[in-house]
Amino acid sequence: MRSSVVKLAAARVAVGSLLILAGVAVHGATFEEASAAATAARQANDIPHAIALYRDAVTLNPAWQEGWWFLGSLQYDSDQYAGARDALTHFVQLNPQAGPAWGLLGLSEYEVRDYAAALTHVQRALADTSGGQAEMEAVLRFHEALLLTRMGRFDAAVTRYAWFARHAPPESTLLTAIGLASLRVARVPDEVADNQHDLFETAGRAVYLTMSQQGDKADEILRDLMTRYPETAGVHYLVGWHLLASKQPEHAIAELQHELRLNPSNPAAATMLAWAFLDQGDPSAALPWARKAVEGAPDLMRAQYVLGRALAETSDVNHGIEDLEAASKADPADLEIHLALESAYSKAGRTSDAQRERVRSIELARGTSLVAQR
Amino acid sequence: MRNVSAMVALCAAVTAAGDSLPCAACHDQQGHAQPQTSMAHALELPAANLVLQAHPHLVYRHGAYTWTVERHGDGYTYSVTDGSSTISLPIVWALGAKSQTWVLEYNGHLYESLVSYFPRIDGLDLTMGDDRLQPATLVEAMGRLLANSEVRPCFQCHATAAVANDDIQFRSLVPGVQCEHCHTGAAQHAADIAQGKLDSVPPKLGHLSAEGVANFCGQCHRSFADVTRGRMFGQVDVRFQPYRLSLSKCFDGSDRRISCLACHDPHREVNHDAASYDPKCAACHQQSGKARLCPVAKSGCAGCHMQKVQLPGGHSLFTDHFIRIPHSGESYPDSPATGQ
Repeated sequence: MRSSVVKLAAARVAVGSLLILAGVAVHGATFEEASAAATAARQANDIPHAIALYRDAVTLNPAWQEGWWFLGSLQYDSDQYAGARDALTHFVQLNPQAGPAWGLLGLSEYEVRDYAAALTHVQRALADTSGGQAEMEAVLRFHEALLLTRMGRFDAAVTRYAWFARHAPPESTLLTAIGLASLRVARVPDEVADNQHDLFETAGRAVYLTMSQQGDKADEILRDLMTRYPETAGVHYLVGWHLLASKQPEHAIAELQHELRLNPSNPAAATMLAWAFLDQGDPSAALPWARKAVEGAPDLMRAQYVLGRALAETSDVNHGIEDLEAASKADPADLEIHLALESAYSKAGRTSDAQRERVRSIELARGTSLVAQR
Repeated sequence: MRNVSAMVALCAAVTAAGDSLPCAACHDQQGHAQPQTSMAHALELPAANLVLQAHPHLVYRHGAYTWTVERHGDGYTYSVTDGSSTISLPIVWALGAKSQTWVLEYNGHLYESLVSYFPRIDGLDLTMGDDRLQPATLVEAMGRLLANSEVRPCFQCHATAAVANDDIQFRSLVPGVQCEHCHTGAAQHAADIAQGKLDSVPPKLGHLSAEGVANFCGQCHRSFADVTRGRMFGQVDVRFQPYRLSLSKCFDGSDRRISCLACHDPHREVNHDAASYDPKCAACHQQSGKARLCPVAKSGCAGCHMQKVQLPGGHSLFTDHFIRIPHSGESYPDSPATGQ
């Protein structure tokens, strides 16, 4: 997904949505002249002039929503992202219901590397259900996943990329982005050195195939990846993850142990190793790895999850429930956490809590949960 | 891919040797009763299979194709023809003690037969789940190619010691659910006992909670997590008893009175006399208990509260383990929220 194409698509789709949302306010002749001139310049495709005129017009009338919108969207289209961000910030303050504007604001913030704000605003746009243009949705979802990766929330990013395995072809930038999240590297594709593109794109292709239910093809690519990058951090972790997803916990354990020998402080690998032992029905073996994972990354939701499960499945169900509840707060839409909570509550005799988790789990699996629909 | 035929021959030798586990010498009741159960016959070699023995010639026609299952010497062949060409293969494994599907080998790959035997019609029909397939070639009409990821869990449940190091052990698996299947380490325990060593006892399963048992049995019969994770919802999930049981309002994972084992002894064939389960319900639903007494009847609980449900495409009725008060005209409930 080339960045410029994505950007233009986002801007054009959003323009269509917002012309309806932006009202026209007129204050005095000077403003009328400026606003009319700005509109004429835009319609004549004289973009630099239009930007200057819109800037004059909104200075004269700061309540002119349409002016802020065009000032923002035209600057975004002209790669003037800081200006676009400022104009769109004014616009959403005047019209907070304008979902597409939150999206374009988030995309502008992404370009100026204000990643935290960008993620918040892209997610706000995605939560808005009034838009519905598929093209804009894809752009926003892609940037949400990029931002989650950039901010180190790799598991959430990989989950988001699963949508693309159903809706988008395996194009190079998408695969590189998936590869970055899968190998747990907090960068975006533009930040990848030329000599590392192959590593990330190959890893991303394997994960894309796994997500597309083409596990056998993913096997081949991962074998190739291990041959070419045997000592690269994250590769054996990725292979372990794939083997675990393919219900091969013993092989997964071997790969994850290999990763931890190369990279002993990798809490994601410790998490996944604990998970593999849990899948093998050996929570006692899982417990020390789960503790190590939580020590290494107290905020890693998956680490809390495996620790909660390991405790609940050994003999400390109440502490296990505490960890699982904490993990659930971190990601309320994660089905695995709700399934583990259901089992732990049931084991503890908390029947109404267990039933509530069953209902939630089924809703999440069916996609009828409001959280899941996000 | 694999030389399945040679592996089957080895497997047959192991089975024919009998005495696969001399557990019955000490565990008399379980050791003698369990081999008579359907679970013990969940997978069989054709020569040992009673369904095939009782049906030496089965024929089914559907669309352009005709399938035939028939005896040839000591073995059984599965054939499909479109009138001009025919594929004829030996049946490698028979899966299912009642309804039965066959595993075939074709060009080094394993296939699930496109038709199965169903006792309720005493004949063949399309295999459940494959009825949506529209075979365009003779090979597709023969069967459905099994992905590696499908074969492993298939044998893991229907056979014993089928998987080691994540790979199927075609050379050494033991057909059906035998002692070692549930009691991991039973074989070593038996060997040690013969040497006078008494300390290698398999893990006790009796201490498991109702939740633990549901998950244990659910490894094959499908737990709540398995069905939900796999999104196997709808009337077909009636055959996943641990999942359905867990939807029940009365399911308490810490109370063994609602455990699978409270009603079923896995070492014996399932009891189809519904009245025999009344005391199990009465263990909670009694005058002095917290659970309410039924205002309608004092017996035949399962007849009302565990209804028989037709398995779509399966030619069989299953007892719905979602214990509830059913309402006339209701649709099949698939969530605790809709079933109570």
